[in-house]
Amino acid sequence: MTAVATHAGGGLADHVHPEPQGFIRKYVFSIDHKIIGIQYMITAFLFMILGGMLAELIRIQLMKASGGLMTPETYNEVYSVHGSTMVWLVIIPLLTGGFGNLIFPVQIGARDVAFPWLNMLSFWLFPPAGLMLYASFLMGAPTAGWTEYPPMSLLGGAGTSMWAAAIFLIGVSSTMTGINFLVTILKMRAPGMTFTRMPLFVWGQFVTAPLLMIATTALGAALAALFVQRQFGVAFFDPTRGGSPLLWQHMFWFYSHPAVYIMILPAFGMISEILPTFSRKPIFGYKMIAFSSCAIAILGFMVWAHHMFTSGMAPALQLPFMVLTMLIAIPTGVKIFSWVTTLWGGVIHMTTSMLFAIGFLATFTLGGITGVFLAAVPFDLHAHGTYFIVAHLHYVLVGGSLMGILAGLFYWYPKMSGRLMNEKLGKWSFWLFFIGFNGTFLPMHWLGMWGQPRRVAMYDPQFQAWNQVCTYFSFVMTAALILILINALWSMRNGKRSGPNPWNARTLEWQIPSPMPYYNFKHVPSVFAAPYDFAEPLPYRGLEEELTGAPPPVPAAH
Amino acid sequence: MPENRDPVVHLDRQFWIVTAVLGVLALISILWWVWAPITSIMPEAVDKAQQIDALFRFLAASGTALFIFVCGYIVYFSLAFRRHAGTPENAVGIQIHDNNKLEMWWTIIPTVFVVIMAIFSLRIWAGIEFSPSNTLVVEAIGHQWYYTFRYPNVNGEVKEMHLPLGQAITLHVTSSDVIHSFWIPAMRLKADMVPGLINTFEFTPTRPGRYEIICTEFCGTLHGEMHSGTTQNPAYVYIDPPAQYASWYARTEREQIQASNAISAPLSPNQLNLSRGDAGAGAKLFAAKCSACHAVGPFDQKIVGPGLKGVLDDPAHPQLVDGDKATPENVAKILQNGFKGSMGEMPTQAGNGLNNKDIVNLVAYLKTLK
Amino acid sequence: MAVASVSHGGYSGAMTEEPDQLYVETRELRIQGFLLFMVSDLVLFSSFIFAYLYLRNSGQGWPAGGPKLDIALAAVNSIVLFGSGATMHFALENWKHRNFTKFANWIVMTIILGAGFLTGQVLEYMHIGARWSSGIFGASFYTLTGMHGLHVFAGIIYLTVLLLQAAQGKYTFTKYTGLTLGTLYWHFVDVIWVVLFSIFYLL
Repeated sequence: MTAVATHAGGGLADHVHPEPQGFIRKYVFSIDHKIIGIQYMITAFLFMILGGMLAELIRIQLMKASGGLMTPETYNEVYSVHGSTMVWLVIIPLLTGGFGNLIFPVQIGARDVAFPWLNMLSFWLFPPAGLMLYASFLMGAPTAGWTEYPPMSLLGGAGTSMWAAAIFLIGVSSTMTGINFLVTILKMRAPGMTFTRMPLFVWGQFVTAPLLMIATTALGAALAALFVQRQFGVAFFDPTRGGSPLLWQHMFWFYSHPAVYIMILPAFGMISEILPTFSRKPIFGYKMIAFSSCAIAILGFMVWAHHMFTSGMAPALQLPFMVLTMLIAIPTGVKIFSWVTTLWGGVIHMTTSMLFAIGFLATFTLGGITGVFLAAVPFDLHAHGTYFIVAHLHYVLVGGSLMGILAGLFYWYPKMSGRLMNEKLGKWSFWLFFIGFNGTFLPMHWLGMWGQPRRVAMYDPQFQAWNQVCTYFSFVMTAALILILINALWSMRNGKRSGPNPWNARTLEWQIPSPMPYYNFKHVPSVFAAPYDFAEPLPYRGLEEELTGAPPPVPAAH
Repeated sequence: MPENRDPVVHLDRQFWIVTAVLGVLALISILWWVWAPITSIMPEAVDKAQQIDALFRFLAASGTALFIFVCGYIVYFSLAFRRHAGTPENAVGIQIHDNNKLEMWWTIIPTVFVVIMAIFSLRIWAGIEFSPSNTLVVEAIGHQWYYTFRYPNVNGEVKEMHLPLGQAITLHVTSSDVIHSFWIPAMRLKADMVPGLINTFEFTPTRPGRYEIICTEFCGTLHGEMHSGTTQNPAYVYIDPPAQYASWYARTEREQIQASNAISAPLSPNQLNLSRGDAGAGAKLFAAKCSACHAVGPFDQKIVGPGLKGVLDDPAHPQLVDGDKATPENVAKILQNGFKGSMGEMPTQAGNGLNNKDIVNLVAYLKTLK
Repeated sequence: MAVASVSHGGYSGAMTEEPDQLYVETRELRIQGFLLFMVSDLVLFSSFIFAYLYLRNSGQGWPAGGPKLDIALAAVNSIVLFGSGATMHFALENWKHRNFTKFANWIVMTIILGAGFLTGQVLEYMHIGARWSSGIFGASFYTLTGMHGLHVFAGIIYLTVLLLQAAQGKYTFTKYTGLTLGTLYWHFVDVIWVVLFSIFYLL
């Protein structure tokens, strides 16, 4: 056996703070990454309920070609806040602040993130920002969509400034989270946890963290500029005063395209954990999956203007953006092929979590393929700004990110609660969700191709029948999400006790009790291989006492 | 760590049978996309539409084939390798980590595919962006919530768009207020209409008929009404055979002259009360009618025409482009008569659809630009 | 100087004790986190610099004959700010050489120079006489230099706090990560100014 590095004594690995006492310190202003992760998740799921209600309002409005449920103004507010909620208050917080916080520090064998206080601050910026976004309804919510293009956003209600401020706060929170996670992964891995031994979920967080840190700051600049333009008349975007509406689009998409990868790379990581665990097989092509995530993250910074092919860019600029965008298809394809191959020759345990992971493979592939279509400028000239885009983005964000989140929820639920979610109900909800989701968003592909533009409160009557199909299936999808919510709430008290490792998984978080103790590990372990060799003994040393009655580590004396 | 720890893999007959079935399905889907009756749902009205449809068929065929393989294998593997009731709890799958050859191929094949797609797209794109000279130049202007159009030598903005069959067209699009978009699904082309910016594309109509125009950029309350299916301002483009187009053009030219005469009985600049203008109203008009060609910047800041900052108060440029002294009366004269020079052509008062009051307000606004 | 005569409360044998393992590891985390913070701060400036260059080149009336920037004043001001970078460097070096008095003198010098720079900026603003809301010049110039000014202001407070903390014995001659971070920050603000000066006064 090769020699395994161990910690020099007396460092962070041996440094344990006393567990805080009292409800406020323990559950409200907690600095424990696991509690913060759960706080993120609860908050984000609450906002998801609100965002989901807005989504249903949208679908009900579109039952009739002439609209009818709401006035166009109200409708415009509803879809703008729906989009902003789902992107900034649901998917990003769930994947980074939520699952990221909860799981990855344990997976690298750390006792907490690098800056626990900063972590707490990150979280506590998030609920106020969300409330600010919803408070904007009281003063005339933003109407120009989640992208808020000027000049429309300059004309929008007073709530548009509130929107900018709220998203700015979320951005500050994201930036801090990114810095925190990056330092944690760079500096706080357990001895022997080399980069090629890190679980792929950690790789997902590792490549997402710089995106959070860099791209979100750029968004902050754009939001600040929009805010001062609206409030103080500073002429950044106003064409009548020399400003440029396209400047906003550049600044916004320089963030928002990497944001797309912020919303999918951690989900890639989750899928890469769940597929091998339930196939009882090593992940196929570990290095290629990790490497392709890096490639996607880097390319992600160089393709923002593919959202602007119709906006009026210099033709010579469109060219590199088109080619670079198409290149992203290659690492993404490599990932998908590797995941599918991971299934081959496995002993597949078809749990709810696995069903969601496999469903992710199918729907994300479709979303990825339509994404490549849109990279081709001539096709984009037809499809841009239509329901084809709506279909594409929901296939990536719901069929990709949200399916990943749900897979992760069923998978890691025991690590939060010590109990399993109900599998039977879970499988029902998966099939309802899968059918409802595809029924809702698949028809939007041809609706868009035939001529239904996005962001419309009323539309050409010839599209009414298919819109009704979308709406009916959206009810099925909502029902599935409600079932999952009920399942999660019910299982908190009544679920089957899971024990430390119900799935026979091999990453570090499964080698300690469920729910995870305050200090994570009694002794920080040493690592001597990647975690996916299901036929081998576990590649860790120093975990012998974790599941015994041995006393917890003694807090440092200050 | 041992370098090659993976077992040797043998793919069984079942795998190859499934692969063959998926291959047949993929082939069928490819053939379907090659002959799919796209035009029976959406006619191809211009030359570029045929090219874009060809690209779409290529993308859709390869995308569907890929999708069939991925989903087919997912379903097959999920069923074939499912854990059975009798399988022991600790059973593991085939412990295989890597296969360099396989991974090399599934990197190379998509790369080749991307290269083909890029070249295919580039050829069409080049045709849209750079095309022959000697075209008919038409301008489309977005408003909340309707479109207007400008034709060479036709006064003012007209409400209908007619294009002659077989004639190469250069379309300029811009906006008078917020960002709109100009999409004709039958042409498979769209461009955003951005205030202060002119976007251009080129095409040749190949099929007569009436086609809808749709706005796809959110532009305010009635964005959803900015298409052909509404009663308010149904937006259509008519592609006419050349003779029919010529007669429409002649009729429109005549009508617009009459209409503009009705708007503004010509007054000489001295008859206009140039000291009584409303600069605020002028600023709005400027944004709507002038800002696409004129910046609010120094003279050198040309878009189409010169920047107008300090036009009435610029020691470096005491004269207007027509050589007259920079006085309010002479500015009004240019606004009335238009201007044709090396840098471009400015329409007349009627051409811009301005009445006398508008001229006065614009001059008042220009006075404030110091 | 007055501050230099403040007695150094913590000056004892502990001032030169070897740092323990926990301190060493925590120092690495803090320095790395701070560097990443500066990267994201740099992105913030870069975004506005991009906005400025974009607006300036978008053919929409960059005021060629507009507000006159006073390049002489700005050059003097730049020298003041770079000088403060040098004094900050000396301050930290003196701390490393375990000389508290000299450290305090140099850091006070830095603070004075920083305040001098801000005064110069106020003079420049008054000289230009444009407003934040006057066109895209106002938008770019005041936003960027204003942001930088706020950074300098924050830096002055930061350095003052560090000086007071050092006087109270919060740092020892072997454990002084906070002082290193303050120096890094001050140099960062210097570097940003080099860029801003170039793009506004030299371009």
